Amino acid sequence: MLLAPVDYYRPTSLAEAVDALSDGVDARPLAGGQSLVSLLKMRALQVDLLVDISRLSELQRIEPRDDGSVEIGAGVTYDVLARSELLRRLHPRLCRVASFTVDAQVRNRGTFGGNLCHNDPINDFPPLAVALDATLHLTGRDGERDLPASEFFTGYFATATGPGEVLRSVTLPPLGAGYRVGYSDVEIGEAAARAVAVVKVADGRIADARVVLGCLPVPERRPEVEAALRGTPATAEAVVEATRPAAEGLEFLTDADASADYRRAVAPVVAKRAVMEAIEASEQGGEHG
Amino acid sequence: MAEGQPICDIEVTVNGRLHSRTVPARQLLIYFLRDELGLRGPKVGCDTGHCGACTVSYDGRTIKSCLMLAPQADGAEIETVESLADDGELSTLQQAFTEHHALQCGYCTSGVLMSARFLLERNPDASDEEIREGLGGNICRCTGYMNIVAAIRSAAQGATPEEARR
Repeated sequence: MLLAPVDYYRPTSLAEAVDALSDGVDARPLAGGQSLVSLLKMRALQVDLLVDISRLSELQRIEPRDDGSVEIGAGVTYDVLARSELLRRLHPRLCRVASFTVDAQVRNRGTFGGNLCHNDPINDFPPLAVALDATLHLTGRDGERDLPASEFFTGYFATATGPGEVLRSVTLPPLGAGYRVGYSDVEIGEAAARAVAVVKVADGRIADARVVLGCLPVPERRPEVEAALRGTPATAEAVVEATRPAAEGLEFLTDADASADYRRAVAPVVAKRAVMEAIEASEQGGEHG
Repeated sequence: MAEGQPICDIEVTVNGRLHSRTVPARQLLIYFLRDELGLRGPKVGCDTGHCGACTVSYDGRTIKSCLMLAPQADGAEIETVESLADDGELSTLQQAFTEHHALQCGYCTSGVLMSARFLLERNPDASDEEIREGLGGNICRCTGYMNIVAAIRSAAQGATPEEARR
């Protein structure tokens, strides 16, 4: 395919990148390009300037903080994330998801930050970011600002990233003692349904739960499901009951892969599976989720 | 080159040789390799980033060259399937593909070989399941994959990471 004419600039610092993106030109940051180049090839998107941020070392770091949280550079590829010893220790389920994202070639280029900023409903990481209570760090010409994941995703392929802003990094807070992460999806073509659960089990009961559905314009926490899960026995029967209303109040998409009806029917199933996986991870012990 | 479109000066090392070229900024790496440098090994298959026929190595990692702009390769080291054979002598992996009839039309093969090499470098003891998973970014329409997996398995067995890399 032939792209429409576009210019290319490779800044040597984040500051230069922000300047280039804020210059009044129709410009976009280019990281791994696994989504963006595809869109440009199909001419689904038109930009005048691509600002290549894929080699900026400021975006590649994975750094632990004293409070047990970890800051992940937006430019970290799925592959680097999946193989990070630190992240495997603190967030093994996240790493497992990254290690299976799409395929090896895409994992070698595609980035964690790009996945979040693109916010395609089929993307793995938006619901994970919301479930893990991530904080996203943006840098623009006016300075830096932080957004909780719950406020970052605003709609189909839309985020709260402002013009000229770059997602710099993402901080994941510590999971908390006893919390485990479960993740479940149903893939038909792309993904038809996805759920992430963060669960704490104590004395055979669910002490706390966060449940997030993906494959939606905005990842959705399910407070009704979470309330039903809290205090309930950590058994399949109880979890099936608690996750039954998972799809309520949500609008689902019909597309080439699946109908809205199918997605609505499957949402409680992936929610249940994600919770059960977290429960099983609790029962297996080990340090972290 | 069409008039009036943005261009970039790039320096790319491809299969050990440094090339300096002026390219349209919008040129995809696959077309740079094939049309500018005359390397016909990497193929244009789906051109949507799914089939992996365009797979090459970029700074030691497999990538889909139809999803990269040529200017992004400025300063990088690219290896294509042409780099596998040593002065006409097929690599261990290529030999195994021949012996195990791991290709029919051959169109996916250059991409599959690059992915297989990357897989074995990382995981010389790859199980069949790991081989299949590692080839998830390469589609073959002819073989049904069984001979491909057999070829990779046989190339892997007993090979050191260095040997697997050849």
